Amino acid sequence: MYLFIASEIMLFGSFFTAYFFVRIVNGVPWPTPPYELPVFVATINTFILMTSSATMHWATTSIKRGNVWGMRAGLLLTFLMGLSFLIGQLYEYMRVGFNTSDGAFPTIFFCLTGLHSCHVFIGLAILAFMTIRAWRGHFSAEHHHGVEIGGIYWHFVDVMWIVVFTTVYIL
Amino acid sequence: MRNPLRSEAEAYRFLGVVIVGAAVIIAAAYINTWLGVAAAVLVFAWLGWWLMHDSTP
Repeated sequence: MYLFIASEIMLFGSFFTAYFFVRIVNGVPWPTPPYELPVFVATINTFILMTSSATMHWATTSIKRGNVWGMRAGLLLTFLMGLSFLIGQLYEYMRVGFNTSDGAFPTIFFCLTGLHSCHVFIGLAILAFMTIRAWRGHFSAEHHHGVEIGGIYWHFVDVMWIVVFTTVYIL
Repeated sequence: MRNPLRSEAEAYRFLGVVIVGAAVIIAAAYINTWLGVAAAVLVFAWLGWWLMHDSTP
């Protein structure tokens, strides 16, 4: 687990180093004119992702109390909201009006948000397996390690989004 | 030392802490850029203290 955290910190850290270099050391305005960041869509996406963390927590607490249907509903809602986030992100990419070939700013923007989207995609795959297993009755109040581990990963992805959203879109 | 990825409940709590920290930095940066920098330093110090302070027996 510590190796995983360390590798993730180094991975995101390298992209954030590039981001801070472009923005602060290089002195380039963020976002570089005439481009604008779709803050509204990203804010909606942020609320969706934070709500999905709440439903994930609901799923875990439900199965700990032996509430199987609560867990199933929580996992399904988390998966649907994660999918909504990813679709929203793709929609944002299509409408954003710039591409990676347009300079350092778009490159860093796509790298940071794209890296996070890759993590969301992996999280969705884990959630899909968890949901299928939940509907097949693989989890109980005594045996729910799979839900616990998936939940930890999902919250980690959400923490990373808060950092990315704050630095890239807001500040 | 607190491990925020020890359990799902702990990770969820850590997410809440990060949201509060980010909100403080955004609010301070909205007022003044350097106030935002100062808030970021304070938030990271608080986060470090929170991680070092384990409330579980």
